[in-house]
Amino acid sequence: MTVQLQVYMLLGALALFCVIFFLLKKGMMSVKYSLLWLGLSVALVVVAACPYIMYVLSVVLSIEMPVNLVFLLMFVYVLLVLLSLSVAISQLAEKCRRLAQANALLEQRLRELERQHSAE
Amino acid sequence: MENKQTRVLVIIPCYNEQENILNTVAALRSAAAALPYAVDWLVVNDCSTDQSAALLRENDIPFLDLPVNLGIGGAVQSGYRYACRQGYDIAVQMDGDGQHDPVYLDTIVAPVLAGELDMCIGSRFLEKKGFQTSFMRRVGIRFLSGCIRGLCGQRVLDVTSGFRATSAPLTAFFAEHYAADYPEPEAVLAASLAGFRIGEAPVQMKERQGGVSSISSFKSAYYMIKVTLSLVIARFSMRRTAKRQGGRP
Repeated sequence: MTVQLQVYMLLGALALFCVIFFLLKKGMMSVKYSLLWLGLSVALVVVAACPYIMYVLSVVLSIEMPVNLVFLLMFVYVLLVLLSLSVAISQLAEKCRRLAQANALLEQRLRELERQHSAE
Repeated sequence: MENKQTRVLVIIPCYNEQENILNTVAALRSAAAALPYAVDWLVVNDCSTDQSAALLRENDIPFLDLPVNLGIGGAVQSGYRYACRQGYDIAVQMDGDGQHDPVYLDTIVAPVLAGELDMCIGSRFLEKKGFQTSFMRRVGIRFLSGCIRGLCGQRVLDVTSGFRATSAPLTAFFAEHYAADYPEPEAVLAASLAGFRIGEAPVQMKERQGGVSSISSFKSAYYMIKVTLSLVIARFSMRRTAKRQGGRP
């Protein structure tokens, strides 16, 4: 890994960190979902500051270029984040369905009560 | 046993059915009068974009008004929840587009009422009378029927029929567990694995009277893949329960 790449990774991690911090401050993202992304920026800083980890790992996994290992790991990590988002969306859809049904049942009950009330 | 103390709720999911919904309810009303048990109906308006909701309100038809579109599964499930809360003995699901003739209501209710079945499905294919749908759809239905038979041993011919009666315990089960998008075949599998007794009764269906079917030919491939996948998943996510005994639950 070249020194330039290390600098780019540090800058990228810093940018990612700033964006997440901004989103959190504005309340556009909950802390729960920010942890995954913060983890990514921390990992980037660690790798940029200490590329030795990647050299050892790439030898162990017999990957020729350590930088390819960095890309591979980032790709896998992003895949995992996407999967977790699909899970979160599915759970939200289920909650949304329950809420809509409960709302419709309540609305019908209210309408029925109003009808009885006006009939009296 | 057969008196007006027994209460049956007919759940009619409705999405943009302004041409059909009043006729469907009127046909149901006249068919219900002759039956030896009390029949109520509940239309579930799945956030229709036409005049369905206004028509239901003007004509004083009991209905649930879903605030967002949930699809047929979510709509029918709200009906099951209502039936469960109101303590109905039997819940019947019936399409609002005029395909299902309320004349056959007693045909599918009777086996459940007698305690022989927990779910009785009105089937087009038992006597092969009435509208038999297109060849390709019959192939698809036969394939799904084979899937269900292979996955849980339950033999049902008309697995996509949305004309079905369910006993109170099964209604309570569906109020909690019901598939979301295209739920009819998956509901058969889930009910069978949970130990409910399922059977069919011969009915005749009509071609839909107006409006647009929920399954267009363009989406058919997507439908088949999705339903087959959800059947396989459902088989692995549920543990088989022993069949319930006969007699009234």
